[in-house]
Amino acid sequence: MSNFVHLHVASAFSGHFGVTRPELLAEAALAQGSNALAITDRDGLYGAVKHIGACVKLGISPIVGVELVVIDESVSISNRVSHAERGRVVVLAHGSVAAGQPSARDQTGWAKLCRVVSAAQARRGNARGVSNKRENPVAIRANELAELLAEGGCTVLLTSDSDLGRAVTAADREAAESALTSWKKLLPQPGVLAVELVSHLTEPGSDRSSLQARRLLQLADRLGVPAVLTNAVRYLLPDDALTADVLDAARHLEPLGMFETQPNAQAWLKPPAAMEALAFEIADDGNRARLLLDTTAKLAERCRLDPVRDCDWGKPKTPEKAALGIEGNPFEMLWQKAQEGIEWRYGDLRGEQLAKVQHRLNQELITINKLGFATYFLTVADVAQMIRDMRIRIAARGSGAGSLVNYLLGISGVDPVEQDLLFERFLSTERTSLPDIDIDVESARRHDIYRAIFKRYGSDRVTLLSMQSTYRGRGAMRDSGLALGLEDDQIDQIAKNMWRFSASSFRGALESKPELAEFAEAVEADRRMNLLVDITERLDRLPRHISMHPCGVILGDSSLLHLTSVEPSGMGLPMSQFDKDDMDPMGFLKLDVLGVRMQSAMAYAVGEIERVHGKPLDLDRIPKDDPATFEAIRTTNTLGIFQIESPGQRELTGKHQPTEFNDLTIQISLFRPGPMKGNMIAPYLDGRQGFATPHYIHPDLKPILQETFGVVIFHEHVLRIFNVMTGCGLAKADELRRNLEQPRVAPLVQKFFREKAAERGYSKLVINEVWSILEGFGSFGFCKAHGAAFALPTYQSAWLKTHYPTEFMAGLFTHDPGMYPRRLLLAEARRLGVRILPIDVNRSSREYVVESAPKITSNPAERAIAVRLALNEIQGVSEAELDRIVGQQPFESINDFYYRAKPSRRTLERLALIGALDDLARASGDFNRGDILARVRQLNAIKPKSAAKSKIVIDEHQPMLDFEAFNAANMRARELEAMPSGSKPLSKEEQLRNELAITGLDFSEHQLEQYRPMLDAMGVVYSDELIDLRNKTEVLVAGVRVATQTPPMRSGKRVVFISLDDGHGCSDSTFFDEAQRRCSSVLFNTRLLIIAGKTRRTGIRGVSLEASNAWDLKELWRQWQAGKVTEFDSSSASA
Amino acid sequence: MRVDEAVYVATDKVGDPIGFNWRGIAYLVKTKPVRWFARREWWVEAARVQRGIGAGVVEVEMWRLQASPSIANPPGNGSGGQFELIKSADSNVWRLVRVWQ
Repeated sequence: MSNFVHLHVASAFSGHFGVTRPELLAEAALAQGSNALAITDRDGLYGAVKHIGACVKLGISPIVGVELVVIDESVSISNRVSHAERGRVVVLAHGSVAAGQPSARDQTGWAKLCRVVSAAQARRGNARGVSNKRENPVAIRANELAELLAEGGCTVLLTSDSDLGRAVTAADREAAESALTSWKKLLPQPGVLAVELVSHLTEPGSDRSSLQARRLLQLADRLGVPAVLTNAVRYLLPDDALTADVLDAARHLEPLGMFETQPNAQAWLKPPAAMEALAFEIADDGNRARLLLDTTAKLAERCRLDPVRDCDWGKPKTPEKAALGIEGNPFEMLWQKAQEGIEWRYGDLRGEQLAKVQHRLNQELITINKLGFATYFLTVADVAQMIRDMRIRIAARGSGAGSLVNYLLGISGVDPVEQDLLFERFLSTERTSLPDIDIDVESARRHDIYRAIFKRYGSDRVTLLSMQSTYRGRGAMRDSGLALGLEDDQIDQIAKNMWRFSASSFRGALESKPELAEFAEAVEADRRMNLLVDITERLDRLPRHISMHPCGVILGDSSLLHLTSVEPSGMGLPMSQFDKDDMDPMGFLKLDVLGVRMQSAMAYAVGEIERVHGKPLDLDRIPKDDPATFEAIRTTNTLGIFQIESPGQRELTGKHQPTEFNDLTIQISLFRPGPMKGNMIAPYLDGRQGFATPHYIHPDLKPILQETFGVVIFHEHVLRIFNVMTGCGLAKADELRRNLEQPRVAPLVQKFFREKAAERGYSKLVINEVWSILEGFGSFGFCKAHGAAFALPTYQSAWLKTHYPTEFMAGLFTHDPGMYPRRLLLAEARRLGVRILPIDVNRSSREYVVESAPKITSNPAERAIAVRLALNEIQGVSEAELDRIVGQQPFESINDFYYRAKPSRRTLERLALIGALDDLARASGDFNRGDILARVRQLNAIKPKSAAKSKIVIDEHQPMLDFEAFNAANMRARELEAMPSGSKPLSKEEQLRNELAITGLDFSEHQLEQYRPMLDAMGVVYSDELIDLRNKTEVLVAGVRVATQTPPMRSGKRVVFISLDDGHGCSDSTFFDEAQRRCSSVLFNTRLLIIAGKTRRTGIRGVSLEASNAWDLKELWRQWQAGKVTEFDSSSASA
Repeated sequence: MRVDEAVYVATDKVGDPIGFNWRGIAYLVKTKPVRWFARREWWVEAARVQRGIGAGVVEVEMWRLQASPSIANPPGNGSGGQFELIKSADSNVWRLVRVWQ
């Protein structure tokens, strides 16, 4: 009797309801002696794959179901749809274990469960306009449920929250009997319907009390419906009930106490003995209790899944040949395509070089054939070709760039032979799971690509991938604050200062983080703040909500929708309820099609180059050794260049001084958490700059490690070292590398390495030294193929910036790919001598267009082209207004613009304030911006007649009333008449303030310039002067904050990096503990700063500041203007 | 009648109450006692709710007993009725909270 199986269990993947992760539940079930466990998440199969995986690992049987609302939907004669809620049921999939034989793919219980969930989700998606989950829940129509289960396949449990359960709680016998009778009629097949009994030991007679369960049992017996016992589990342990309370509050969006909470803390995974005791308490009759437990065990038996037979577990699935347009043998097709690729990629290669490529290709093809993955590669190649046919830029990322086949099929643009990349890191016979090929495309075209994929392969073979976001610091704090009913601004205040620590260490952070000091005091004084800390810690890492994965697409065969449940995504296309970790276990082919803004920016720049210069440019064919490009990179002015624009990468660029493509690969790979933690940067730089003699341990390792001066950085290095010293082959070497990271098997790797290396004659000393490096390598290294894949767009963007700065900046402005605000790009453009033209209603559009612009100086370096700022920078401008402005250009006069573009009052005034109407006005006469503003205010004062009559309050967002058309000449004449003149022009400061307020861009001049008198008086230096200063010079720098970073540090201590832009470039300052304490109030939130510090030379072109203090620049400015700070004294002007 | 008094409760081997002493009078439980768990508003009362604090901050164990004075009492003292008790989570301390006599 001790084999009770829980059949109703919500995991943490029941968003804002369940508390415990599936893996923990399965472990607990095993520990309690159960041989099976169900997962029945709300509204989806979100945790199902993780549950099955955990059960397989533990050797117990997985059972999967879903908890869903059922509705009766009837359409009346007047076409009104009315709903009658039938309440919540659990639908459990039958398995093939008890049946003894497999069913057809679309007839398994699992397939039916998937269809039930998908149908419920689709119904909700189709009920337009009601997005509120409470008004429009995920629910399946009763008749649809009956149809899907017409031939069995699942068992429906009527929960205490069904119409039956509610009637029993209300002690309405008649309603209860009619509800159960109606369910029997709906689901007449034996084994498809059962009544669920739950006792949470609530007050007798109330919902989920033993008394209610007894009444349900009696009714079920009377009507001949089987009854089963569950505990409607929401959490693993009683202690977790408190977390469930907080999740309930987050779900209800109301503080605790404002809604009906769970009755007590009994919904935990009770051990079999406790469940048996409940059976006896409910039945109040030994025999009936035993029968109840027996029926429950029988249903559990019926629902045990065989993952392989029921879910096609682990078997790779790709689209059928016909769907790919392949006839004949896929491998032959692949071979043929690869040969064609050799013509394309290596057309001019001959002799030994060509033989080397051919040999490599043969090896890769043999592996692919052995694994039976030819169709997989053809599928990805087909998608890549489709993307290229759409004229969209595409690049590979990740280990896939190490494959020659990928290069030949056009999936990747990196030559793995030239870059010395290994195929085995990507794919080997030692692993049988489908490899990951990730491709980067232009972000602006990503959705077009998704739609094209659905169209090409059919919507029964394609779904989008989902992802579960989890509670982290601020989110956890906000929902905890909501649950406790704290004021919004109180929550905001605390959340603002939560910076880079996980919520689970909230209490620890209170003591160590200076910016939380104020809050720490509040915690001591205020009980609710104390609770806030505790429950925030409890929420940490729990799944929060499901959303569309930013780049994943699942490609399968026509059985895909029998294997995964789907729901509508934000963009309308169906999305699998499984996440990326579920792909491998389910054998799904996941293609990452990642939108990369830089690719869009580069595509835009290339388009502008071709348009302006009238000649084609193929960015993928530019030489990769352009000296001017590397010279430009070495200046460290890398803003806007892919991957190397962050403050840390800029500093590294200064030290590293790359001269060739492989240097970029290495630099990108070094600046990663792994290599940084593994302390690889300093020894590499020392070797490169000749400060230290490279140490290769053994001559055999020199060819492998020469490129990095003896430092092991890449996974590829480890593979080659294993291969050379043990002769194990590269495929096995990759297996060894993976096992290095697993503490349980690492000793076996060591044993193997030592034995084989000794056999091959390496000395004990060499073996010891090499092993100590491999052992320490752990997870620190980086895949070189990934670095090389990234280095390509890095080089391409640097090349564009060097040779076509105007067009490239236009691309950056339009697609905003980087980490910095647009106004910093503006400063960089200015620094590069790229000319910027202000917003003009006649010339600006939605994009930053390159215009030819007559030179205004005699400077030969001045370019005859310029970037025109785009209209959409104007805050608050609507899409409809943009359509009207761009669609009606050009305009003859302000009147003409007013009548045809119909801007809202606010937009019209804003356009005038930033000078977007200046040129229009100048066409009519010599008017200044003050005049234009006066005119615009006149126009805005005109009262639309009808509105005045009906006393409608005019919304300033609404376009003004359309007057009768005027002809242009007439309007020009009226304009001259109406135009005020002689107004006071706007001062420089006013212009700048307007620009910043309305567009966020200081396009007339850098905003720091207005403070120049004070900065000069204080002796503040420009950022580009720092490089010429002696090491450890005490200086002041000023600027606009452009980046704040707290990267992981080897010491574990927090270091804050702040970058300031002063129009001459960026200065980077480092704040250690003491400096952080001294200026904690300005550390994270003040925008304009003055920083005091010592220069720190970090390399040939590298310099940064070690900050000692920082102040709010505006505050100092006020004091300076008031005459308080006449001479700067670093002790007086404390922040 | 609402009360809030600590009482001594005698239990059987599975922990069900069989009798108790209240205001100097011994009562014997007459029918099968009823137990349930009621909730507590921890967000109003608790000082700390950190992980592992236990279900005691969330719920409280309640017992409803039908009981009469034991014949061992001097006659005429006390009368039978319904009694509601709270059993504290961590110890064997019982509090009588409601009485219907």
